[in-house]
Amino acid sequence: MEFVVEEGKRVHEECSTLILPALSIGNVGQLAVDLLVSSTAAERVGYLDDLNLLPCVGNDAYGPLPCGDLALPLEVYESSSTAITLAQQRSPVAKGMMIKFAENIAEFAASSGKKDVIVLSSLDFQRLHNLDLSRGPQVYYLSNTESDGRDDHCERLGFGRLGEFDSEGRCWKYLSSVFDKNSKEDLTFPSEDELEDIDYYPSLPFAALFSAFKARGLKVTCLLCYCSEGDNIPDAFLLAEAASKLTGLTPDKFHGEEGGKWRIPYSWKSMYGAPPDMSMF
Amino acid sequence: MEDVLTENPPPSRFFQEDLNNFASPPPEPLPSPFIVFSNPKPELPLKPSLLIIALSSPSLYIFHTLPSKTLIGTLIIPELPFSGNTVEPSLQDKSCNIYSLSDNNNNNNSVLLVSVQLPVPPERSNLVSRLLVGQDIVPARVIILDSIQSRNFRGRLSPDEALAAKLETSSEKKAAATSRLSLDYFPSGSVIDGLSASLLSRCQLKNIRGTLVVSWPEFDPSVVRFVGALLKSIVPSLDIKSVDKDLEKYSSRTGLKRDAWLDSDLYT
Repeated sequence: MEFVVEEGKRVHEECSTLILPALSIGNVGQLAVDLLVSSTAAERVGYLDDLNLLPCVGNDAYGPLPCGDLALPLEVYESSSTAITLAQQRSPVAKGMMIKFAENIAEFAASSGKKDVIVLSSLDFQRLHNLDLSRGPQVYYLSNTESDGRDDHCERLGFGRLGEFDSEGRCWKYLSSVFDKNSKEDLTFPSEDELEDIDYYPSLPFAALFSAFKARGLKVTCLLCYCSEGDNIPDAFLLAEAASKLTGLTPDKFHGEEGGKWRIPYSWKSMYGAPPDMSMF
Repeated sequence: MEDVLTENPPPSRFFQEDLNNFASPPPEPLPSPFIVFSNPKPELPLKPSLLIIALSSPSLYIFHTLPSKTLIGTLIIPELPFSGNTVEPSLQDKSCNIYSLSDNNNNNNSVLLVSVQLPVPPERSNLVSRLLVGQDIVPARVIILDSIQSRNFRGRLSPDEALAAKLETSSEKKAAATSRLSLDYFPSGSVIDGLSASLLSRCQLKNIRGTLVVSWPEFDPSVVRFVGALLKSIVPSLDIKSVDKDLEKYSSRTGLKRDAWLDSDLYT
C-alpha cells in the first residue's frame, strides 16, 4: 500500500489518532466518516493506493458544491485543529484479500506515527440477542486495552462492551496469529464451509482491522452499532457522535449547518437515488 | 421483472462474501497481464503526448473505423480466452489492441489509442491500468471514454435522452481552460467503477492530466456522433468521415456486439 501525498498538501505530524471505517452492513462506518470529514472541515492530504481495493471514482463528496475534485477509493483527510486523521474507504476489498488489506493499512498507520486507531462498523441487527430498548440506541465497543476487550474510558462513556468477543475463539485466535509475525502458532485458515454462528463477529472486516492494528502495537477501539439495511443515516450519526465523544472533540471543532454540530455531505442528497418521476401522476 | 429476492443488490450494499475475512482468496495467483508489442519492439516505456482509451461501445466503433492507425501491440489478460478472435482486428474480437496515430509531423507514437474490447474483471483492473499508465506506457495526457453505468448512477437516465459528463484529475483541472473538455462534471453521489475508474485513479496518483468522459445511452448513434466530434476537437487531424458513412449500420451492429460479448464462448 502506497501513501501518495496530494500535491501542495502536507501531512500533519500531530495527528496521532486515525479514524477509519470497516465495510459493514448499511455502510454505516463509511457514512459516519463522511459526517466527520464534512463536519470538521477536514482537508484531504493524500491517497492510499492498494492493489487489493476495487477501483471507483466520483465527484467531490462533500461540497458545499461539487467542484469536480476527484474522489478516489481510499483517501486520507486531516484537520490540525482536531489532531485527527480520517481515512475514507469508498469501495470493497477484492474477495479473499481482506486480511492482506488489513495488514497493509496497519503498516501505514504504524509507519506514519499513529498511536490510536478507531474503527467504525455496524453489525447485523439479526445477530443481536439481548435487545434493551430502554437505553435507546446503544453503541458497543471492542478495545485492546484489556484482554477481554474492555476499556475504562469506553465504559465511562456508556458504551457497551461487545460480549461476543472471545479472544480464545478459533477465528479470533486465527486472526491474532496471522498478523503476529512472532506467533509460533500454526493455525489453519477457517474454511467458509466450517464457519458457525459464533464465527460471525471475527469474520467481519472490523475484526481483521482490529487484529491487524493490535499486532502492530497500536491502541485500537472498534465502535459498533447494530442495524438493518435501509436508511442508515441515523446509525451514521450515532457512530459519528460516539467517535467524537471518544476522541474528546469539543463542539468548537465542528463546522455544522446553522450553528449546529453536523454538516450533511453534499453527496448524501442523492444517496437513495433520484426522486420519483412526478409526471406519472 | 427481476426477482427482488435474487436480483443484485444496489452497489452500496454488500454480498455476505464481500464482508467475510475468511472468504477464500484465489487458489493460485493468476499470471499478471502483459503487453505484447509488434516487431520491431519499440523502446519502452512509450511516451505519447496523448493516450486515448476506448471502453464504451460508441468509442470502440469509432476507433475501429479510423483509417490511419497502426497496430503496435496488444494487452493480454492470461485468464481471458481469445478463442474466436480473427487475425485482422474486428469489433467482435475479445481483445485489447494498442494503435498509434501518426500526427501531422509524422511523429509515430505521439497519439496512442487503446481499444478495450474485453471484460476486464474488477479485481484485475488495477494491474491492467498500471500497464497502460505509468509502466509500459507513460503518457503526458489521458482521455478515457466509457459509458455511464446505470447501476451506479443516482440520477435519472432516460433511454432516449443522450448525456455526457466528465471527471478530471487535479493536473487536468490546472491546465489551460481552452485545452480542457467542455462538459459538465459527473454528479456527486454517483460513482464509476471498473477499469475506467482504475485508469483515472492511476492518472491522479501519478499527477498525469487525465479525463474520463462517460456517455449515455450505451448504444446510440447520437452518442457515436458526439464522441466523434469530441475526439476531433482533441485531435484535429483525426479522420472520422467514415464514422458518419457507416452510422446507419451501427444500430443493427450494436445488438450483435452486445450479444457477442456475452455469448461468443458458446459458439467457438
